[in-house]
Amino acid sequence: MNSIDLKAILNFSAFRPEPDDPSDAWRRRFPNERTIFFGIGRARLSWRGITRAGKPLEPESVKAEPREALTQAADHLKTLSDRGWCAVSLNTRYVISLETNLSRRPGSEELLKTNPRAILGGKFERGKRYAVTHNPETNSSILLTFDEDQTRKTEAMFSESGFRVGRICCGTYLLLRHALAETNSTKGSETPFSSFYIICCEGAVCALVQDQDRWMELRSRTDVYEDDIGPIADLLAPFHSRLAPGIGITLVCDEPLPELSERLAAAFPGREVKDLSEPSLLASLMVKH
Amino acid sequence: MQISDRQIDDFKTDRKDISPPLPVVLRLVPILFYCSIAVALILSSIFFLQFRIAIAKRDNHIAQTSSLVAQTQQSKNERAALEAQIKKATDIQNWVNGARPLQPLLVEITRSMGPKTSLLDLSLDRAVDDPGKILMAIKMGADSTKQLDLTMARISSMNYRAFSPSQTLGRGVLDYKATLVRKLPQNSPPDGQLESPQ
Repeated sequence: MNSIDLKAILNFSAFRPEPDDPSDAWRRRFPNERTIFFGIGRARLSWRGITRAGKPLEPESVKAEPREALTQAADHLKTLSDRGWCAVSLNTRYVISLETNLSRRPGSEELLKTNPRAILGGKFERGKRYAVTHNPETNSSILLTFDEDQTRKTEAMFSESGFRVGRICCGTYLLLRHALAETNSTKGSETPFSSFYIICCEGAVCALVQDQDRWMELRSRTDVYEDDIGPIADLLAPFHSRLAPGIGITLVCDEPLPELSERLAAAFPGREVKDLSEPSLLASLMVKH
Repeated sequence: MQISDRQIDDFKTDRKDISPPLPVVLRLVPILFYCSIAVALILSSIFFLQFRIAIAKRDNHIAQTSSLVAQTQQSKNERAALEAQIKKATDIQNWVNGARPLQPLLVEITRSMGPKTSLLDLSLDRAVDDPGKILMAIKMGADSTKQLDLTMARISSMNYRAFSPSQTLGRGVLDYKATLVRKLPQNSPPDGQLESPQ
């Protein structure tokens, strides 16, 4: 034990998780510290500061190639963070797919990070990173596939600009998990739930059809919309004929999109639209977990 | 169906040497450390105040002791002065008591002096070995022994008898010395003892 360890014990930092320990919540890793939450699209960089109280500030964004935008705005962005720690939501170059019969052995989710081949078998691709959400009632799973090279480049890009990356996640996948957790909260199969989930995050759209707890169809696209939400309706239009009668719509956006609920109600007449969108929802979830 | 809202899947490249946080119960260590510092500071403050109070009390005590010692010394001096005065008073009282039997004799001697005679010196001393005997020495201004005879007659009338007289007359000064012994009265005891002097 050296003086640094003693100092860490005396200022209680030794009892908190390390800042880049992904197993712990953001608030516990950075208590009373300002951080930044970045969102990266194909040609768009957005950010918002997180206050010491964990409250997200108003978002800002630049329509430019993220590397250039980050280099240009680095000096301003560093003022939003105490020590340069940031979380990144990658909203491009990922794939969310619906898979079946993936291994669900105990510890398989951890094993998916260290040895994905053992879990995915023939679906494994070299140079990818994975996350999975299993349907507890069926053998289907939602698989998130990330380009490992993209994450390394993202880490290098932020390191070169003087930031320290504490988390890299997929905003769309995170919002989809949030929507599923919010609506599927009853244990067991006695009260099956059906919904058409629509997730919108930083231009990416993900749609999932859940019918009687069964995940039927999933479609995910990145860079679908910017300011105009018309492409969202166009992407979702084919689902209209395939949805069973009575299935409602659950809409979750990282920021509330004006008129999207109304346009969905018009595009899917007779279906209830439940909008779970909240201001700063994605940033709040990122800070919460 | 229930899907938990568990932690976020993180795609950041993991650092290998991440150590888990220390157990929460070990927070007692720094807490006790800070508490001990706080208690030490409080106790030090209390001890410092007590120390200051003790020093003030000691100084006050020393001052009181000095004052009392001075008072005691003053009382001793006053007592010594009083004792000296008492001794003087006692001596005077003793002298007065001791001289009381001789006072009638002295009065007779002084009354016996004529108008042309001056009494220059008179001493009456009891003999050390026999207090019943009085050594008398008279120095008077007289040209003859007439005054001495008159004085001795008056002394005799006081029932004193002179023994071993010696007189010297010269230049108007008569110096007479004798030993006076009190004569026994007529109703004195038969064994003929002298009356004891008082």
